[in-house]
Amino acid sequence: MRRTSPLGTIGKAIGLALFAVWSLVPIVMIVTASFKSDRDIFAVPQRWLFAPTFVNYEMLVLRWGDFFRALFNSLIITAGATVLAIAVSTLAGYAYSRYRGRTLAFSAFFLIFIRLIPPIVITLPLFPVVNALGLSDTHLVLIILYATFFVSLGTLVMRTFIDQIPRELDEAASVDGASRGQIIRKIVLPLSAQGMVAVAVFVIVFAWNEFLFAFIFTATRAKTAPLVISEMIGAVEGVEWGVLFAASTVQLIPVLLFVVLAQKHLIAGLTAGATKG
Amino acid sequence: MNGTRGTPFAAFGLIAPVQLMLAVVIFIPALYVVWLSFQHSTFGQNAAFAGMDNYARVIGDRYFWRALLNTFIIVVVVVHVELVIGLGVALLFASGVPFRPLMLAIALAPYAVSEVSAVVMWRFLFDGDVGAMTQLLRFVGLPIIEWSVQPSHGLALVALLSIWLHLPFTFVILYSARLALPGELYEAAEVDGATTWQQFRKITLPLLMPAILIAMLFRYIFAFRLFSEVWLLTQGGPARTTEVLAVYLYLEAFRYNAFGVAAATGWLLVLASLLLAVWYLRRLYKEMFATYA
Repeated sequence: MRRTSPLGTIGKAIGLALFAVWSLVPIVMIVTASFKSDRDIFAVPQRWLFAPTFVNYEMLVLRWGDFFRALFNSLIITAGATVLAIAVSTLAGYAYSRYRGRTLAFSAFFLIFIRLIPPIVITLPLFPVVNALGLSDTHLVLIILYATFFVSLGTLVMRTFIDQIPRELDEAASVDGASRGQIIRKIVLPLSAQGMVAVAVFVIVFAWNEFLFAFIFTATRAKTAPLVISEMIGAVEGVEWGVLFAASTVQLIPVLLFVVLAQKHLIAGLTAGATKG
Repeated sequence: MNGTRGTPFAAFGLIAPVQLMLAVVIFIPALYVVWLSFQHSTFGQNAAFAGMDNYARVIGDRYFWRALLNTFIIVVVVVHVELVIGLGVALLFASGVPFRPLMLAIALAPYAVSEVSAVVMWRFLFDGDVGAMTQLLRFVGLPIIEWSVQPSHGLALVALLSIWLHLPFTFVILYSARLALPGELYEAAEVDGATTWQQFRKITLPLLMPAILIAMLFRYIFAFRLFSEVWLLTQGGPARTTEVLAVYLYLEAFRYNAFGVAAATGWLLVLASLLLAVWYLRRLYKEMFATYA
């Protein structure tokens, strides 16, 4: 249909190439540099051909055992926050999809209104409360915080997906004598799996990468991987780049693969979350 | 389902967990911050009523104004540059790209990167000695970015890093919105002999406007909270010149133990966010009652 001039094609190719460079170079840079010896890292100009070495990873294992404990903490916290957020978002999403009423309307407004409150503001009152409850430096406090900051978006996304399940299915099951709980378990859950994956993408990426809450609410036992990496940045004033690259790579690769594999769901979720409410 | 205005009882049970979490973890603490902002409060002391003292101290603190100015500059630059690039790339993608899944993966990749790792990457790129960008700038004879010494350079690096990190969000919103536009419009315009520029001005831009505004609003609100990038890059230094509001709040609360002042700052942050979103909230309120009541 469209007339495409050769000039336009070339312009487009250049535009896309520049964009790919912009997106990828910072990532590729540290991943490749994590396999470089110090000599190659500090080479001026940068060497794109070098003898790969695992020396940075060895150093990471030997000197920063803390990092792997933190990685495990990140895993537990991410899993916990994801399960919690999906569970409560699915229930609420079902309610907003199937019921109507003034209270529901107001609570839906509240749901989105709350997203306007910056996280750092609530750290002030939460800090003493978390300490008093003995929850400081535990997985639980981060699980709850991370899940809470995503239940608004999660509920919106789940509602959008549950809206696509025909009500006739609910009604038919209801006529056959199924209870509300059975309808949710047997009909809604299996059919809204896509929505759950979309919610999971958000929560997993957020919880795995989050810095501020981890920085404020953990100290030693529940420290997450980003926090340990930030300590590495701080600890190495004459920056020990190699180990830092190795740690960043280990932290990044799983979630990067996940985002690439789940891109369809990420796009669907972002769209549903931003435009439907 | 039926015409009644009351909410069915079962619905309350289903939304209770979500609403309870939001109320206990976010809403009530946020209200408490209001109370706190009117108190003299620090560690190991009982709070005492302070009237507007904390607000007066915030307003009278030149570091606050510096942080406000920095935040304002970064937010305006970051959000608008993101929108322009995001729109450009979205339209480029919508016009058909080779290896679409791969190109999409490339576009989304920064979304997976943590703020901490992004700081590592960009610090390395602009490292004064070995940074690839520093070398490139030197090579073409441009001044290098001395982000750790020059406040304006530090802020520029923060802005660059934020744009990189959040472009995927803006891009996806605009790209999905563009894909949702009916192709017949463009076919009709084509038949009428409209140029590409005319199609953009008369069809694409007006029809994308709602999505552009939404993306812009969300980015304004989120960019306004900027903390980690600045904290990890400059810690607000040198000499408190690169602080943004969230960093100012953090330092007041957790370094200087001035909880009241921090609370007043926090409440100003909340108010600013609400003010930014007033038109959105009004529209939303009507929409919610139209859908649910």
